[in-house]
Amino acid sequence: MATFLGAHGYTPGPTQRPLLAGIMTGVVATVPAIAILYLFPSLRVEARILRLTEAMTVAAGCAAMAAAGAVYGRVFGRAANDRRGGWLFGMAFGFALWAAGATMTLPFASGGTVTAGKAAIGVFLAFIAWGAALGALYPHVHRRLHVSLESASKKAEVGPRAATAGRRPDERQVRLRQPSPEDRRRP
Amino acid sequence: MLRVVAFRKAIIAGAAGAWAWEAGLRLLALAGTPTFDIVRELGTMPFPNGPPGLWWPAGMAAHSMIGGAWALFYAYFFWARFRWPPPVQGLVFAIIPALLAAFVVYPQLQLMHLHQNAAQLDWRSYLLILTPEKWGGLLLGHALFGLTVGSLYDRPVGYPAGSDLARPKHLTRRAKRQRDRRREDDGRFIFATGIECSYPTTDRGKWRRDEMEGTRHYERWPEDFELSREVGVTHIRYGPPLHLIFRGPGRYDWSWCDEPIHELEEMGPNPIVDLCHFGVPTWLGDFQNPDIAAALREYASAFSERYPWVRFYTPINEMYVCSRMSALRGLWNEQLSDEGAFARAVINQANASIAMTDAILQRRPDAIFVHSESSEFHQACCPDPEIQQIATFENQRRFLPLDLIYANEVAPIMRDYLREHGICDSEYDAFMAREVPRRTVLGIDYYEWNERLIDSDGNAQALGELFGWYVIASQYWQRYGRTLMHTETNRIDASDAARWLWRQWHNVQLLREAGAPIIGFTWYSLTDQIDWARAIEEPLGIVDPVGLFDLNRDARTVGLAYKNLIDMHRDQPEYRDCKALRELVG
Repeated sequence: MATFLGAHGYTPGPTQRPLLAGIMTGVVATVPAIAILYLFPSLRVEARILRLTEAMTVAAGCAAMAAAGAVYGRVFGRAANDRRGGWLFGMAFGFALWAAGATMTLPFASGGTVTAGKAAIGVFLAFIAWGAALGALYPHVHRRLHVSLESASKKAEVGPRAATAGRRPDERQVRLRQPSPEDRRRP
Repeated sequence: MLRVVAFRKAIIAGAAGAWAWEAGLRLLALAGTPTFDIVRELGTMPFPNGPPGLWWPAGMAAHSMIGGAWALFYAYFFWARFRWPPPVQGLVFAIIPALLAAFVVYPQLQLMHLHQNAAQLDWRSYLLILTPEKWGGLLLGHALFGLTVGSLYDRPVGYPAGSDLARPKHLTRRAKRQRDRRREDDGRFIFATGIECSYPTTDRGKWRRDEMEGTRHYERWPEDFELSREVGVTHIRYGPPLHLIFRGPGRYDWSWCDEPIHELEEMGPNPIVDLCHFGVPTWLGDFQNPDIAAALREYASAFSERYPWVRFYTPINEMYVCSRMSALRGLWNEQLSDEGAFARAVINQANASIAMTDAILQRRPDAIFVHSESSEFHQACCPDPEIQQIATFENQRRFLPLDLIYANEVAPIMRDYLREHGICDSEYDAFMAREVPRRTVLGIDYYEWNERLIDSDGNAQALGELFGWYVIASQYWQRYGRTLMHTETNRIDASDAARWLWRQWHNVQLLREAGAPIIGFTWYSLTDQIDWARAIEEPLGIVDPVGLFDLNRDARTVGLAYKNLIDMHRDQPEYRDCKALRELVG
């Protein structure tokens, strides 16, 4: 899978920080989601089902969404930086989280108790809003976190050594250059 | 970026899919068949006890939006993944939303309709909630949706040939200019990239492919130029869209290139202007038209008059490839598979190239012409005389366009070939009598598929990098003895691109050391390209990750590697002062 994604160019390059961008955007995107949860009585109901206070539910939600944002950055790779389609990828990811979390995991964790009525609508809308905000904001947040071209281009992996395509150094290689005093000091 | 997506087309297809679903199921309901009414399920959520006049529009609006979102998802992730007819692709894709609807969405909709805030569930709530009639309605509705989306979402890239392309809004603000780079004609070795700009027609001349439109260069050119400056390239191969600019004899719409060319004049990098790249304006037809030489001469003259500071030109890009794809393989423009048509396409392009060169020289006597051509090699698989003969012929055919514009006698086998296909001796002799301008550079493009094996059935198979750029370029150098430039390369496997870049560079270094007057090196192109893995024969919108930057304009590893390479070499004495280039510009 990793090879396939690499060949098709989805793998983020050395200038990118998808996990950090995902964590940060995941947290920021909880703002509209929490607002929706408040507007509907969903937050109260969720807290009751989970036997937590509302504040603790929000805190747990933020932590979970930060992790989910990191997963989003990793899974979608370069596609997540698409400013035109980002909202859609995010919304799809939010929908998947809702399907997997709110409708599958939560009932099993709570002994089968789930939100219903307006509270269930609120949960659904909150996930969709979180996803759309995540996807729409991610490219903008990520762009600010990029390593500059100047410093990323100095990395050894993109230098002349790249011509060898990561082949292991030959143990029998002959040292063609005399070690400098600096080389000798290295462990 | 996974696919280039036609947003409006996808949203319309998705909404139409929702309407097709509704129409089909209403007809069933009218016939008395109980079914799954998604519009009522959605519409009665905001209006639980409302009349149909309220819940139906609300439900339809919600369902159309959901349909649009699913169609966009289809366009990004599913479209063209399989080579099935588009309606079948849509139908198969619809299985995904159908399963989600059955096992997740429908049970949740039932919960959302309850007048309580919490409920108790068990596994039956998920699996046994749908009656057979509802299953039938749900599957039928999704089938109608999928067939509609599949039928309507097609050709996400390109536009009808001859139509006016909508002028893009400049979404990108003028990029920050971090450095005041100036164009340099000072004899430094050329490190170049290019903006992919192919614009052939397909579908018997009815559909225009336009790579600059697909990669959104028309909107994002300020950013593209700034990125090229950040990488550190000195030159950029740039092809203003001939088909959009040259509207007819004496009619030009320069608005497609005035601003970009002005930016390049002011800020660099120095353009190597590609005047004709795999296509001609619709009113000129195709490369079988003998009038293209006169028409393109007029265009070249007008271009060089409007932009007198431009010094580097590629009159016609890769004439051999263009003739092959248009007249032998039947993929572009005239879409013929005929040896005579190939010979005529080559002759017409060679005539046009010479006419354009002469026109430019009248305006700019010190212009430099970079004749970019695909370097090819054919290896016979076995001693079979017939196979050997095919390889020999193809190894001569590759030189034909260059032989004509460089007044180099073709091999006897090619002379016979030209005669056999209607090219008379007087036409040929006119080429041979020409004096080739001094400031002429042979541009040699190289990709991993340029070396081919003629197998025992006489078919050409891709060999990969067997001999490499060094050997193939040497053959061209020995034949023409002209100043050389490495004018294109890239790698379709993005994870291998940095390795490929460095190895190409080492080939260039070695040939320079062997005495070849090489003035430049190029990674082509700045951004990813579209559908080139399939020779842009079908408008699929599949992104080929070959660029220094992806289509979001985020750096690829090879972009960083190229910057590393340029930073490492540009100030070395042998590159800071490139004798071959200095002689050319002087």
